[in-house]
Amino acid sequence: MAARRIEPFRLHNPWVKIGWLSTTGLLAIALVLGFVLLGREQQNGPPVSPWRGICSALGISPDVGPASEPQPPLRTPTRIAWTRATLAQIAEGSGKQGIFVAMNCTACHGERGVSSSGLYPTLAGMDAAVIYKQLDDFRAGKRWWGAMNGIAQALSPEASADVAAYFARRTDGLVSVGNERSQGGDPPGQDTPAVRLAFDGDPSRGIPPCAACHGPANIKLGAPPLKGQRSAYIERQLAAFAQGMRQNDIDEGMRTIASQLTPLEMRSLAEFYAAPLDAKPAEQ
Amino acid sequence: MQHSRRLALLHFWVAFGLFLPAVVEGAWQMLMRSPLPAPLRYPSMYYASVTLHGTVMAYVVTTFFAMGFGYAIAETSLGRPLRGSVAAWICFVICITGSVMAVATILAGKASVLYTFYPPLLASAWYYLGVFLLIGGSMIWVVVMNVNMIGWKRDNPGRPVPLAMFAITATADLWAWAASGVLLELICILIPRAFGWSDLIDAALGRTLFSVTLHAIVYFWLMPAYIALYTLLPQATGGRLYSDTMARLTFIMFLTFSVPVGLHHLLMDPEHGSGFKFLQSFLTFLVVLPTLVTVLSISASAEIAGRHRGGRGLLGWIPALPWREPMVLASGLMLVMLGLGGFGGIINMSYAMNSMIHNTSWVTAHFHLIFGGATVIMYFAIAYEMWPRLTGKPLSSKRLACWQLWLWFWGMLITTIPWHIAGLMGQPRRVAIFDYSMPFVARMASLVIISVIGGLVLVASAILMVAVLVRSHLGESSLTEPLRYALAVNPPREVPSSLNGFALWNTILLVLMLVAYGYPIAQFFLLKSHSVPAIEVTRRSIFNGTQ
Repeated sequence: MAARRIEPFRLHNPWVKIGWLSTTGLLAIALVLGFVLLGREQQNGPPVSPWRGICSALGISPDVGPASEPQPPLRTPTRIAWTRATLAQIAEGSGKQGIFVAMNCTACHGERGVSSSGLYPTLAGMDAAVIYKQLDDFRAGKRWWGAMNGIAQALSPEASADVAAYFARRTDGLVSVGNERSQGGDPPGQDTPAVRLAFDGDPSRGIPPCAACHGPANIKLGAPPLKGQRSAYIERQLAAFAQGMRQNDIDEGMRTIASQLTPLEMRSLAEFYAAPLDAKPAEQ
Repeated sequence: MQHSRRLALLHFWVAFGLFLPAVVEGAWQMLMRSPLPAPLRYPSMYYASVTLHGTVMAYVVTTFFAMGFGYAIAETSLGRPLRGSVAAWICFVICITGSVMAVATILAGKASVLYTFYPPLLASAWYYLGVFLLIGGSMIWVVVMNVNMIGWKRDNPGRPVPLAMFAITATADLWAWAASGVLLELICILIPRAFGWSDLIDAALGRTLFSVTLHAIVYFWLMPAYIALYTLLPQATGGRLYSDTMARLTFIMFLTFSVPVGLHHLLMDPEHGSGFKFLQSFLTFLVVLPTLVTVLSISASAEIAGRHRGGRGLLGWIPALPWREPMVLASGLMLVMLGLGGFGGIINMSYAMNSMIHNTSWVTAHFHLIFGGATVIMYFAIAYEMWPRLTGKPLSSKRLACWQLWLWFWGMLITTIPWHIAGLMGQPRRVAIFDYSMPFVARMASLVIISVIGGLVLVASAILMVAVLVRSHLGESSLTEPLRYALAVNPPREVPSSLNGFALWNTILLVLMLVAYGYPIAQFFLLKSHSVPAIEVTRRSIFNGTQ
């Protein structure tokens, strides 16, 4: 046999023999311990059969198969996934076309998308992907608000992208918070609780900073810019997430965070973000 | 060492030139995490800085150092010019290009994903391409090392390959195995997504592939330190190496036992079954064998030297050693840090105990102690040993060099011991800012401040190190003796072919890898996909009207 002449397979050579025997022995010990003994022992309940033990050690648990009992229908928070197809659809939105769609919005969302009521959010300056997602959520019944569900159902995905593009390009509404922490109006080092929550979060309660998704530290796709938004609107959305009234946040991020906030914190955060930023007041 | 002298020196300068700013960054990161006021206290800057610190220290400094050391060893230990020096220069240019690309992208704020990538986080394609060029380019070095060893064996049939060359070739082969994981992750997952050729990222497959790299890379870093312990330290003590065979076995065991073990970095990950986690945890423990063999061999070699120098009694040989030699001092300090860090590592690799410290500062403290401490202090000693041979000028001051080593040792202990304790108290890693007004965080404040002080000591030590090297480099030229490697007590006349090459051990490693990683990787294609949309750290907003 030709293979016997290659060094790793010259088994009469003592080092080759030692190498292979020790490797095989160590693997056998580890495999028996890991797959037979460890797989068999369960933390809760009696030891399982050898076959099930091996499967569980492989990471295949029996409940991966088809469910024997009827399961409650799967509830997804949104139909939107940030695939390239979705992003391309949003990118194709035309702001000019959107002007016509946007005429339907002014009654509630204000002239040019700047809201004058705490019930309705300011849309001007909001990320196009955010508006597109919310419209689809209203259309699909993933988020509920009176007239919005009907309005969204009347819009095609193309029209949603158009109106999203229109509002996204308006410059007189929402703005991204700058990098300066002191924009809350306090000197550095004397941050208010709202500024701390916004920029540092609260690690001990597992609350990430708002800035990690809503900017400026990072902008998570689908998370709106907040600076300049109506304070009453922000506060009510936080309360709605906390109570599970609003459930269209992917991965339950906002529901988890908002349920950790106290009512006082919700209010102070809403006021922090609604506060005017230099020469750019939220209201006109 | 005429031919590859400039090559090796240039590699060392790249490594140490980048090392200093990366140490300063590390100290700033420590300061930012502390209750003390820090300049530029922005979380986004912190993550960019951690990415830069990790990328420079883990990929650039270490790879350049090992490559330079390898070229120097190939020429001095084989006693003939380096073969493939043109390829080596091409390799240098590719690696430098990659490093510049990666560093520039991080500095531009487009790659704050940390050096371990963490998919589905997605950085700019330039970062991934840069890292790919650096690591992929270093494979040329792997080939050059193997070509030199095999060529020498062919020209000297029956003679044992010099130990230093044997060991650096083991290091090169280990690096090729280790790099396979990260290179596959880059080619198959991250680069296609960064260019937009694919839609989703299989985060779990990416983490699994990276785990192939993540533990073996640590041994790639450590190997130059072990090479120095076996081939340079006995010479520096004025003694001999206790056993050539034990040294060869050590490097063989490091090669075979340090790759099929990376899954112990994923013990808390849901995508793998407990069986493979246990298997790899078990194999990880075998690394204890070459470590203990090394401690025995090195102590025995040192004892031979100490007794030769007049040391008497059970431990009298220890003070008799020439502690004013940087190589001797560094080795002693290294063994202390290796001991402390090694015991910590046993906790990390244990399947059950890992859950206590997973993702806490304990882990960060551990790898700083064992890599930043035990390994890097040997890099300093190697530099002090090699500099006179590479520049033809004597070391400017051995006393300053020893001071530097002591500073590094104490700095590292002061930094990492409180850091370990903070981790045990539950301080999470990869967190930029802590709110010290919270009771949970407040009790760690004093520990973190002590770590900051240690960090400043480390900065001082790093500055001193570069100063010693620059002063030596600019000093007056004078001839120094050539680099000599330690002789064994019984110098080998011939060694079994299995201990004179890596064919057998690479084959055994292949089998181990197939058993340990075959199913864990295949399952992603057979059973389940973990593909998720990417989180682009470079993205600010797709259509932000306010910009």
